[in-house]
Amino acid sequence: MKPEDLLFTKTHEWVHLTTNPTGETIATVGISAFALEALTDLVFIELPPVGRRVEAGGAFGEIESVKAVSDLYSPVNGEVVEVNTAVADRLDRIAEDPYGANWLVKIKVAGDVDRSTLLSYDEYQKQCAEESH
Amino acid sequence: MTDCRLLIDPPAAGAWNMAVDEWLWHWAGKTGRWCLRFYRWEGPTLSLGYFQNHEDRQQHPPSLSCPVVRRISGGGAIVHDVEWTYSLAVPLKLPTNEPRANQTSEGLIVSRNSGCGRNMPRQWLYEVVHGTIVELLAHFGVHAQICGKVQEGKKAAALPFLCFQRRSPGDVLVGPIKVAGSAQRRNNDALLQHGSLLLARSLVAPELPGLKEIAGREFPFEFVLEVWLARLSDRLRLSWAEEQLSETERAAIDQLVLAKHNCPAWVIKRTRPELSMFFNS
Repeated sequence: MKPEDLLFTKTHEWVHLTTNPTGETIATVGISAFALEALTDLVFIELPPVGRRVEAGGAFGEIESVKAVSDLYSPVNGEVVEVNTAVADRLDRIAEDPYGANWLVKIKVAGDVDRSTLLSYDEYQKQCAEESH
Repeated sequence: MTDCRLLIDPPAAGAWNMAVDEWLWHWAGKTGRWCLRFYRWEGPTLSLGYFQNHEDRQQHPPSLSCPVVRRISGGGAIVHDVEWTYSLAVPLKLPTNEPRANQTSEGLIVSRNSGCGRNMPRQWLYEVVHGTIVELLAHFGVHAQICGKVQEGKKAAALPFLCFQRRSPGDVLVGPIKVAGSAQRRNNDALLQHGSLLLARSLVAPELPGLKEIAGREFPFEFVLEVWLARLSDRLRLSWAEEQLSETERAAIDQLVLAKHNCPAWVIKRTRPELSMFFNS
């Protein structure tokens, strides 16, 4: 996936929305390249089990880098339908492909996605630039 | 200057200490205020880093007789004994009822200039607080330095069990010996950083020398505190407001001890109870 095609949270998760053959909206969620660069040296990640219900803006997982544990936030309401468990074994290489192989969870979206809380790629780039100063 | 609540606590049980830190972390997020706390431990206590496995404590036989707690922050295990422990709870955004116009307060000028506030880089706070420890030790004639980049393996399984046997950028070293380290917990609202300054070798962590062994002298905290507070005030532009825990807060923290920090489910298995009842009141 190209980052230009994704939406982003203010907390640095990315989301890609697709519709499956049965008409359900599936949100694929990961961590942005900007956040991964800032986090550095990831050592642990905890992702939710399949079936866990998550809320937009609520924590769905946790990550540790440089002795700091941070929450990962869901961009949508819904139910976790797939978890990329392989990521935990290659945390030191997650930044090599943050928008492809290293997605974290897929969420079956419940209700409408509140796009007002999400940023376009350009808007997210602007936020990152502000945070970098 | 930004107003900062200051707590200087007597020795307490490990579960209480961990519950107070967690309470203050949420308190900072809710109130938009900073809090600095210094505390000690009733007896030697082992604290596990958030993601560490409880059974890994078998790797450290000298501390097996110690009670164990689990931190909400990351990093390796710490044997808390002859040390001073600090915690710093920092709000990452203003309270929702705070008008935007108030964001021009001096505290937020600090935010813009030095990276505080919601986008504060985690490494920055390590380096600032640890920088004050380097200055503090220099005041007492001990030459310490901040650890730079390390070559240590990043795989969690390869890291030593004890925090003070690990080396991370920002740690405080005297020669090759680590004398202070910190860890963090962060959510959208607040950041908690807590850490330890090793004053002397512990009988239950005999492999770790402290400042007493390194410098050949005692470091009574009464003398240390005044200098450390002055350095922290200067670096973080904080003014201190001593404000002990209220009875209401202590009652809530008691409940947090019972529901989480004294529970094997949390300490051994890292199972988290539903806590909104403690923090939403």
